[in-house]
Amino acid sequence: MSVQPQPRLSGRTTLSPKRLQKCLEQMLTIREFEHLGEREFKNGLIRGYYHSYAGQEAVGVGFLGALDLKRDYIVDHYRDHGHCLLAGIDPHAIFAELFGRSTGVSKGKGGSMHMYSPENHFLGGDGIVGGGLSVATGVGLALSRGGKDGICICFFGDGALDTGTFHESLNLASLWDVPTLFVCVNNFYSMGTSLARHSSLSQLVDRAQGYGIKTEQVDGQDIWAVTEAAERIVKDMRQRHRPYFVEALTYRYQGHGIHDKALNYRSAEEEQKWHDRDPIKLLSRHLIDEKIMSEKQIETLRQQVVHDLEAKLEVAKQDPLPDESELFSDVTL
Amino acid sequence: MHEALNMALREELKRDDKVILLGEEIGAYNGVHYVTRGLFAEFGKERVMDTPISEESFVGVGVGLAIMGMRPVVEMMRMDFSLRAMDQIYNHMAKTRYMSGGRLSVPMVLRGPEGPGPNAGLTAQHGQQLTALFAHCPGLRVCTPSNQHDAKGMLKAAIRSDDPVVFLEPGPLNNKQGDVDDSDYLVPIDKADIKRSGEHATLIGYGASTALALQAARELERDGISAEVVDMRSLRPLDMGPALQSVKKTNRAVVVEYAWQSYGPGAEIVARLMEEGFWDLETPVLRVAGKEVPLPYAANLEEASKPSLNGIVEAVKRTLKGAR
Repeated sequence: MSVQPQPRLSGRTTLSPKRLQKCLEQMLTIREFEHLGEREFKNGLIRGYYHSYAGQEAVGVGFLGALDLKRDYIVDHYRDHGHCLLAGIDPHAIFAELFGRSTGVSKGKGGSMHMYSPENHFLGGDGIVGGGLSVATGVGLALSRGGKDGICICFFGDGALDTGTFHESLNLASLWDVPTLFVCVNNFYSMGTSLARHSSLSQLVDRAQGYGIKTEQVDGQDIWAVTEAAERIVKDMRQRHRPYFVEALTYRYQGHGIHDKALNYRSAEEEQKWHDRDPIKLLSRHLIDEKIMSEKQIETLRQQVVHDLEAKLEVAKQDPLPDESELFSDVTL
Repeated sequence: MHEALNMALREELKRDDKVILLGEEIGAYNGVHYVTRGLFAEFGKERVMDTPISEESFVGVGVGLAIMGMRPVVEMMRMDFSLRAMDQIYNHMAKTRYMSGGRLSVPMVLRGPEGPGPNAGLTAQHGQQLTALFAHCPGLRVCTPSNQHDAKGMLKAAIRSDDPVVFLEPGPLNNKQGDVDDSDYLVPIDKADIKRSGEHATLIGYGASTALALQAARELERDGISAEVVDMRSLRPLDMGPALQSVKKTNRAVVVEYAWQSYGPGAEIVARLMEEGFWDLETPVLRVAGKEVPLPYAANLEEASKPSLNGIVEAVKRTLKGAR
């Protein structure tokens, strides 16, 4: 079965060459970070689960690029490495967390799915599908009570729409005028179950109707489209102090986690269709066509990104494991 | 007990504008169990927030408020309904501090009545005593008062705690009245307490079962038996100090609880007595617990399902005879 981006998409915007180059660097950083992480997972240095963000970069770059993290907050799901990078967390601390080191962003006690950095306004990775939706509603409520115009963005996958708390949270957020931006990162698979097999409606944006919340769908492969929607929505939310729901259409290149080879539930043909609309490829092509960057310059940038990340990774590798006394810290016994 | 709880909430709402109440029918309806009576009128809908019947999500909202520095007090109309919210309680409220390496904390209280009411006919889905579910989970503090004085001081301490607290209000004591001290005092939420001193046997209870144990101690006194009563008050952390001290003196113990016996808090208390107080015991520790059935409706069946005064008196007498 193949899935294609659906109609009813928002428009696009024009972005300055400088902004586009920054977007490219951010997307490359996420992509290469995930490649390195996948490598170390296979090397056995990363344990447990590893959910790669590769393929979905434009969603994070577009939405977090529209936020002001001095006043806004992020509540994330388990596919969180890319959003951590965009929140400004040092890649060293993210690698260290993945390696379970004391220098990790959660002191090595959380792992891939449980990154936290309050100083970056990043309030977690969450391992439970839909688990962050109500927490993000609470964060938004706290922001509105504080009389500030900050908003809380909450990322979750298409599978989260099948939980009861999705509908409860949208209802509460609307009822209480909570400025939480619910971003459904629809990569068309709830783990290994395709949208057609897990959703009663083919357009997820239709399942967010009924709560008096503005909703829309955006092409998550297209950085111009995501940025246009994100900036307009954030502006709207700061003025209206109301929640918003967005469905971003995108695709994950890896399986649900690295251990999942996605062999049984989707076709190579379908994967290829999405790779043809790869967000980095689309942006690179534009930069080359418009003579903003040459192919060689893009490749040089990519190599620089890899080089910098490798350096951080190597440091994290040498960092110490948490002291055994940490077993009993951060919890009341 | 609701008067004491009401006073605690009012005082803390006044003291700290970060305190915010959430729950079903706590506001305009004025509180199903009177605990929030008058607070909506006094503090308004922004501080005393009525919620729809969405337990999982309004507990999650509490978690979100708490990590942002507010001090939410979330009411479960009955603790049975917390089963709907267990993902938020176990996976978020309890674990966020540890998972984040201490970068976030969740200063939130989840409170509500648990267990059967006083001859109330609450039945199987409204009168359960689910204490063990909460007490099992690291990351939570779990406490339960046995009288008005403790109820007020402990609830205030729970609201001021930087840890998430599950505050269990003993259903059988909800309508118990008594003078409440209107001074601003706190009672620790992690310390057991001797509620009555005695020589011959130790009765150990928590919440409503402490009150029942005290009644049993008075009965036993008529037969010339002097029973000491230990009120655990906190089930996580479990403060075994007073119970172990007491057993050194009495050499005999009976644990009383409304909860189902198997795998319950009483089982843990007995295990700790074995590990840490074995050499002070003359006879096996006995238990008087709720019968292991869903709470039945008919008055006689409900009564038979609860730990009885007579059952406690008999258990104490058995331990004095060697519990054979």
